[in-house]
Amino acid sequence: MWSVLDSTRDDHVDGIISWFDYIASRPDDILEATWAHAKITLTVIVVATVFSVLLGVFVQRRPALRAFALSVSGIFLTIPSLALFALFIPIVGTGNEPAMYALFLYAILPILRNTVTGLDSVPPAVVESAKGMGMGTLRQLARIRLPLAWPIIMAGIRISTLITVGIAAIAVLVGGDGLGTYIQSGLTRLGLPNSLESVWTGTAFTVLLGLVLDAALAGFQRVTTSKGLRM
Amino acid sequence: MSQLTPAQARLGDHGTTTDGREPEGSLPPDLEAPHEPGWLTRARRKHLGLKTAPLGILGLAGLVFWYYQSLNLAESKVQIASPLAWGTKLWPQTVEHLTIAFWSTVLVVVVAIPLGIALTRPPLRRFGPTIVAVANSGQALPAYGLLILFLSMLGQGLRTVVVALVLYALLPVLRNTMVGLDAVERSVIEAGRGMGMTRWQVLTRIELPLAVPVILAGVRVAMILNIGMATLAYLIGGGGLGVTIAVGLKLQQDAVLVIGASIVAIVALTFDWLGALAETYLRPKGV
Amino acid sequence: MSQDAKIRLDHVQKKYLGSKAPAVDSLTLEVPEGEILVLVGPSGCGKSTTLRLINRMIEPTGGRIFLDEEDVTTVDPDHLRRRIGYVIQQIGLFPHQTIAQNIATVPKMLKWDKARIAERVDELLSVVGLDPEVYRGRYPSELSGGQAQRVGVARALGADPEIMLMDEPFGAIDPITRDRLQNEFLRVQETLRKTIVFVTHDIDEAIKMGDRIAILGEQSHIRQIDTPERILAFPVDDFVRDFIGSGSTLKGLHFEIVDDNVELDPYPTMTVDSTAAEGLALARAAHADWVLLLDASHRPLRWVPVDELEAGGPVTAESGTEVLAKVSLGATLFQALEQMLVSSAAVACVVREDGSYHGVVRLTYLNRVIRQARREAREHYERLEAMA
Ligand SMILES: Nc1ncnc2c1ncn2[C@@H]1O[C@H](COP(=O)(O)OP(=O)(O)O)[C@@H](O)[C@H]1O
Ligand SMILES: [Mg+2]
Repeated sequence: MWSVLDSTRDDHVDGIISWFDYIASRPDDILEATWAHAKITLTVIVVATVFSVLLGVFVQRRPALRAFALSVSGIFLTIPSLALFALFIPIVGTGNEPAMYALFLYAILPILRNTVTGLDSVPPAVVESAKGMGMGTLRQLARIRLPLAWPIIMAGIRISTLITVGIAAIAVLVGGDGLGTYIQSGLTRLGLPNSLESVWTGTAFTVLLGLVLDAALAGFQRVTTSKGLRM
Repeated sequence: MSQLTPAQARLGDHGTTTDGREPEGSLPPDLEAPHEPGWLTRARRKHLGLKTAPLGILGLAGLVFWYYQSLNLAESKVQIASPLAWGTKLWPQTVEHLTIAFWSTVLVVVVAIPLGIALTRPPLRRFGPTIVAVANSGQALPAYGLLILFLSMLGQGLRTVVVALVLYALLPVLRNTMVGLDAVERSVIEAGRGMGMTRWQVLTRIELPLAVPVILAGVRVAMILNIGMATLAYLIGGGGLGVTIAVGLKLQQDAVLVIGASIVAIVALTFDWLGALAETYLRPKGV
Repeated sequence: MSQDAKIRLDHVQKKYLGSKAPAVDSLTLEVPEGEILVLVGPSGCGKSTTLRLINRMIEPTGGRIFLDEEDVTTVDPDHLRRRIGYVIQQIGLFPHQTIAQNIATVPKMLKWDKARIAERVDELLSVVGLDPEVYRGRYPSELSGGQAQRVGVARALGADPEIMLMDEPFGAIDPITRDRLQNEFLRVQETLRKTIVFVTHDIDEAIKMGDRIAILGEQSHIRQIDTPERILAFPVDDFVRDFIGSGSTLKGLHFEIVDDNVELDPYPTMTVDSTAAEGLALARAAHADWVLLLDASHRPLRWVPVDELEAGGPVTAESGTEVLAKVSLGATLFQALEQMLVSSAAVACVVREDGSYHGVVRLTYLNRVIRQARREAREHYERLEAMA
């Protein structure tokens, strides 16, 4: 075990080398787990984005509905993830599914909130002039309001992605897969050879996946945002 | 994993309140009104406020209680009756759960607020943005892994759980302290300095009171993160209500699972509501 | 270097970290007690920097600053600032404190007792024209911009500092309110007689507020420092001329008051009781083409042309043309000129408070005043040059 308290520098170096060995000896397995993790995340985020943006557009100017939608999605985020995962088991059984339903609920608020604030931030004068030029409601939305709100919406999507990646690591506790499997297998074999290497792998690759997805979304945000809005 | 992380997400980059309310504008109403469409003003006013929340929570608690009664534990099989015993299992676990959350929240406050203050003072100020950026990507950190790594370093027990939780929940309070202090208008600070207030006086009489709402929002998020992460404490022998959920998973008893998860949810929602109350009543007047 | 300067800057320099040229370069300046000195110049020329050097919000990188001939370059800046009122454009009221608490900030730091502070707060609110009963307990968010700036001024006056520094205090306020605040501030200053350094980028505000004006160029170089009258009458170079803009001559007329010092020409007048022949005789004696007709209480009524008098007939309230150009004693020559322009007459009637006739101001007189002001200013600068 690596103990901060009684280890020396050499122990750390040894630890890092053995971790690299560990990774080098099973790159395909790790990539597979990472891909499984990414698949859970991306599915959840795509669905949550479509759902939350549509919902956001619908509730933005309806004060009562808007408050209701924001409050309810806030409640989801308050419920501890293991508890929310567990609550889905009686309904959909174990595996990735309960985790994905729960993660979907978590991912709503950041995107929903940023969609409504993003739409709020569109200057009324711009919408007014679009209307004045004869744009219909849908066209205003597609050509003016959503593009102007897009950077803020994307920021919400990125937050949701990061938290989904992090929380998806406990899917393994309800029978799912992904990088959490490395953490769990390390825990069950704690003290045995390679157990900590396994935990480190699960933790580090989860963070890494989060950073990669975030960078990819940042790039996507750049190319999908009008040049006039980039600063 | 974290139970904690979700709450963190509520601190987006567009606001600091955590209950779906938008942050209120800083302009006085009469100045703001002309620029703001009516529906936005109405939306701000009309949040599902502090008043309805306790009703919802009570309703949920009543429902769980009714379900619990209907299980008729005295006559049910041991796989259900034993983990759901109130006096020997559920209640002590709840107390354990709250103890973990309480101490880690207190420690977070004690560590993160002074740190946040230090990082907004001139000598350290330039590190602020970097730290906030790191804090943001820290959201992808799996609490599960973190907990196990601390287990390997510090061994089993409450202390390990609390240390891991503090590290995990530090970020929102730290970030909000920095953001809250940074958001204090330069002109207000300039006016204070111009009247001969010392830096310390400006900090304690102006900056901190004005940052209170934002800092409190961060503390509330940290508290919810801690309550969530305490659910995982069972993984490293820290107890808490996670034990009941884990037993339900292992024995494949949905009733145990549902009761355990529901109590955790009720605890989290209750404390979130208390946090909202604190945010409302501790906010300085005039702000 | 006079001994009675309240504020004296001696070759003060400020170079910000990381910039090549100093923002303020070797500035030497004196402000006598009780004076409003206005620093005016294009944006970015270093006005705010200069002001902030005086209360050491920023530290000078060279030179020395004296208040009451005491070198304050080395005293504790916090204590120094409690002796100096400071008003900024953004006001910076503390949003979480009531108006009363805001105003009490400095007195509290100076450990005044509670009763004295409360009394002072009410007094200051009255001074700036806010009813203490109404405003004392309010929060800044409940004030309009103009009211907030009044509170800002009251707060700066908190511990009755002898010196006030004001950085575009009325810059963010609508023109009508600004005008009112300027007037009120001047009225308050008449009794308080603070020594004030006032920064603005608006030359009209400078002319209005300043006992003296320093026109600053790049790096706070003083291009001209003098009374507004003399600057308007005699801008020393093109920079100053450009900065004060066209119409500076006319602006100078703001400073000339129509009073007994103004040489009021005698003008033939007749009352409604007198006959045309009497009027004609008066006009002939004064070589005038018009006679001013007064009513029974000697208020100017009509201009009656000589032709009409020659034609004979009764002189009534319908004779000649109406007297449109009228100014009261105490008005400025600028107002007199305005009156002449709107009524297209080359003379304006000066009336006393009760409306009765006092004299007339002629366009030619304005002409003479302007020329004289220019001559005097030029002679002043020639004398200065000769001395140098
Ligand atoms: N804190 C600062 N750091 C660096 N440069 C500054 C700072 N404050 C002002 N300056 C520079 O100093 C010059 C004078 O600024 P300032 O005194 O604010 O001008 P003014 O008030 O006349 O508009 C400007 O070029 C400005 O960019
Ligand atoms: Mg300035």
